[in-house]
Amino acid sequence: MSRHLALRSGNPALKPSTFTNQYASQSEGVMTLNGTVNKTGISLLLVLASAAYSWVTPAMHSLAMPSALIGFILAMVNVFKPKLGHIFVPAYALVQGVFLGTISMVFNKMYPGIVVQAVFLTFGTLGALLLAYKSGLIRATENFKLGIFAATGGIAFLYFINFVMGFFSSGIGIISSNNTMGILFSAFVVVIAALNLVLDFDFIEEGAEKGAPKYMEWYGAFGLLVTLIWLYLEILRLLAKLNSRR
Amino acid sequence: MENPAIILWIPIIVITLLSLLKMIKKSGANGKPWIRIEKVEKNE
Repeated sequence: MSRHLALRSGNPALKPSTFTNQYASQSEGVMTLNGTVNKTGISLLLVLASAAYSWVTPAMHSLAMPSALIGFILAMVNVFKPKLGHIFVPAYALVQGVFLGTISMVFNKMYPGIVVQAVFLTFGTLGALLLAYKSGLIRATENFKLGIFAATGGIAFLYFINFVMGFFSSGIGIISSNNTMGILFSAFVVVIAALNLVLDFDFIEEGAEKGAPKYMEWYGAFGLLVTLIWLYLEILRLLAKLNSRR
Repeated sequence: MENPAIILWIPIIVITLLSLLKMIKKSGANGKPWIRIEKVEKNE
């Protein structure tokens, strides 16, 4: 338990106060690791099914931007109303699937085969980090959490500035550039996104240890899903940059 | 390079191998071997 004294995650969905006021009553059951794993699996299947459908259905391609916006709104609902996770986490997964399917199709047209590589790399990273976490090779110490939290915040700030600059037909070159600095930046973002998975594992373990209520299983699954989607998109971007130099 | 994705697999493989090594070392320290060979008695 001492490992979790000051819980800190770079993932905005998994903030330190999440479990503080969430104690389970005896009637509703408690959060378990198995339950969270099952709900993560269900959410991932929904994302994959929705993405596959959007990929092969041309009518869905125009929904990429609206689905990104609705996805953001649903994410906010999940953050502020975790008790409704059983409705809004699957909804978030389905909507994000539409966005990911369309984006992936566009990338695959530009660089054939890139999506399969990105999917395998994402799940490969998840598996490797899960093993590293279970073996104790990587521990979510307080300094580790602080470092990842700061780096994630820095990246989010940079992306926000880039988003605002986009309205003035400008942007931060390093984010989209395929030169050496651009690739190093993308690789750094991939590493930070991957290390966020460790914080998510720690967060879920903390919830199960503290006996958080059953509905927090959906919340834990949601946090992991957010990180996995971010990691996939960053790997896709990095692969696109590397392929564009060939 | 023919396939740039290969570079990205290197850290994943290294982390996996190091984790497995750590797990093997841990189980060794506990005195619990992964495989136990027992002496087979006559007519067993």
